[in-house]
Amino acid sequence: MKIKFKQNNVLTSQEISKRFSILRTALALLLAMGIAILLIFLVSNNAGRDIRSLLLGPLTSTNRISQMINKWIPLLFTGTAVCLFFSVGQINLAAEGAFFAGAFTSTLVAIIGGIPPGLHFILCALAGGLAGAIVCGLPGIMYTKFNVLTVVSSLMINYVVLYLGLFIITNVVRDPAAGYEASYRFKNTARLAELIPGTNVHTGLIIGVLVVVFGYLLLYKSTFGLQIRTIGANAAFARYSGMPVAKVIVLSQLLGGFIAGLGGTTEVLGLYNRFGYTGLTNHGWDGIMLAVLARNNPKYIPLAALFLAYLRTSADVLNLTSNVPSEVINIIQAIIISFIAAERFLAGWEYRTIVKNTEKAMSLKEGVANE
Amino acid sequence: MSDLLSMVFTADFLGSVIRMSTPILFVALAALVGSKADVLCIAYEGIMLFAAFGGVVGSAYTGTVTGGLLLGLLLGMILIGIFAYFVLYLHTRPLLIGLALNILGSAGTVFGLYMLTGSKANSTKLGSLTFPELHIPLIEDIPVLGTVLSGHNILTYVAFLSIFIVHVFIYRTGLGLRIRAVGESPKAAASLGIDVNRTKFIALLISGVLASMGGIFLSMAYLPYFTRDMTAGRGFIGIAAESLGGGKPLLTGIWILIFGAADAIGNLAQSFRLPSQFAQMAPYLTTLIGLVLINVFREKKKVNR
Repeated sequence: MKIKFKQNNVLTSQEISKRFSILRTALALLLAMGIAILLIFLVSNNAGRDIRSLLLGPLTSTNRISQMINKWIPLLFTGTAVCLFFSVGQINLAAEGAFFAGAFTSTLVAIIGGIPPGLHFILCALAGGLAGAIVCGLPGIMYTKFNVLTVVSSLMINYVVLYLGLFIITNVVRDPAAGYEASYRFKNTARLAELIPGTNVHTGLIIGVLVVVFGYLLLYKSTFGLQIRTIGANAAFARYSGMPVAKVIVLSQLLGGFIAGLGGTTEVLGLYNRFGYTGLTNHGWDGIMLAVLARNNPKYIPLAALFLAYLRTSADVLNLTSNVPSEVINIIQAIIISFIAAERFLAGWEYRTIVKNTEKAMSLKEGVANE
Repeated sequence: MSDLLSMVFTADFLGSVIRMSTPILFVALAALVGSKADVLCIAYEGIMLFAAFGGVVGSAYTGTVTGGLLLGLLLGMILIGIFAYFVLYLHTRPLLIGLALNILGSAGTVFGLYMLTGSKANSTKLGSLTFPELHIPLIEDIPVLGTVLSGHNILTYVAFLSIFIVHVFIYRTGLGLRIRAVGESPKAAASLGIDVNRTKFIALLISGVLASMGGIFLSMAYLPYFTRDMTAGRGFIGIAAESLGGGKPLLTGIWILIFGAADAIGNLAQSFRLPSQFAQMAPYLTTLIGLVLINVFREKKKVNR
């Protein structure tokens, strides 16, 4: 029977839903781009050039392409981390804090001399990852033990981490010779090597890709991942079927936090020679957008992250070459999140299509029966 | 250190606590009305920014404070309207649309600022107006109390009055009852003929008015101009304070004063060259510890019952 349907080009409702989710994404992108172009026309003194920069800017030189890749790397980490949080149903917003914590904790290890290369980075990564795990794990523990809303606690933790980090950097490891508020120089043994000579694309790229693969396998090919997704879909059901709900929630938050912290570590050790952040970096919030775009599946994080990195590089190009404020890019981002997250956007059309298809399938069935 | 302590217990300090508390008080009350309708809105940052920006632009172009108030409220309402529409009618997860609107609030206001003034940092060029201060006769003349209670911006009094207005609205009016009903049990409310989505929409609009007032206070009273991202996390602190207050307007008000005090002490500490980061961290750390303690306390109460 199924084969018969396929021959007559009748889609199942699942296939229609999938197509509509792609259509929604495409429409959101188009709408966002349309509004961005409108805004550029509004302020630009050379709209044609600026629209070209927006659309093609990142591809115009190898330097910009490598810039884009470097913006891509940290997003792989935070995107995967947030997929883990959201899959288990925890609205944990502490990836932002975990990224920052990973960056400043690994700084403390990276300025220690006399550790052989290789091992030095591993120690930094462990320190940064553990710091991130603590930051994201706390809201998970507070939720399971004390029933504190994860959204609220994770937001507060971000700020605690920010000021703790700034305190450590400005009071404990500040290098007076740096000329600005920054830590001592990282030892060269801790820094990540260049991956492609001549560009500044660093080996963090490999770690990032591995993290995405790990995240995908964990969530979709392991028992633990099945537990995570079951709890996310229906915690009560998971509890009745005997899953250790609290344990899985806390573990997934710790693991996601570790990944985000590792992201912070590779970012500072790959791109800079000292810690110089003066505020939160927004990578965690970006991770949330990516998890939304990827529908909590790490498999789609690289593509979503590449898209965001592309937009961000366009923003830099606009900043350098035109009078259009780069905030245009953030507006695009906001519109895309809104329309992709809007589950009922185009729902009427989707239902009508499904109904029409079912009717068609039914009539076919009847036709077959009549034959 | 003793200097610091002596400065804490002065009338000026208490006055500054009240001033610092005003914007977060507005947001916390906004979050309270939202949470009564069982909608977790994290978009208050964006709403406040839009309102703050609208206030400055409106007052600069009409030359009246009322113009600023109206445009500020209008922009804030547009944003919460989008939020409500997406959440209630397009079934969007509140967190995600909230996140999107916060990004839009920050980027949109900077974009608007740049279009109008050519600056991405602040709106000093526009020459916007501020709300007047209110000197209460008689109370003003009482030695210490006068400095604490009188001479604040008119919006500060509005904020503190709002605690009681919101309390009465939620617990003593029909609409308040309906909002609580759709929040606690939408199905039961619907079975009684209450339009759940419409009631939630109205609750969110009221919440938006309160949050917008917080934004307007920032750019038309706290500072006499708009600066980019001037809310600086206040929208989030307001949500946390509401959570600590357990949905009770008066208790929420008390938590807000504690936050205001932490903020004001932070400002003082900076002038004494103490590590300012710890002072800045204080309100957030207080919230975290408070949240745990309050929930432990609530659990105990449940067990005892």
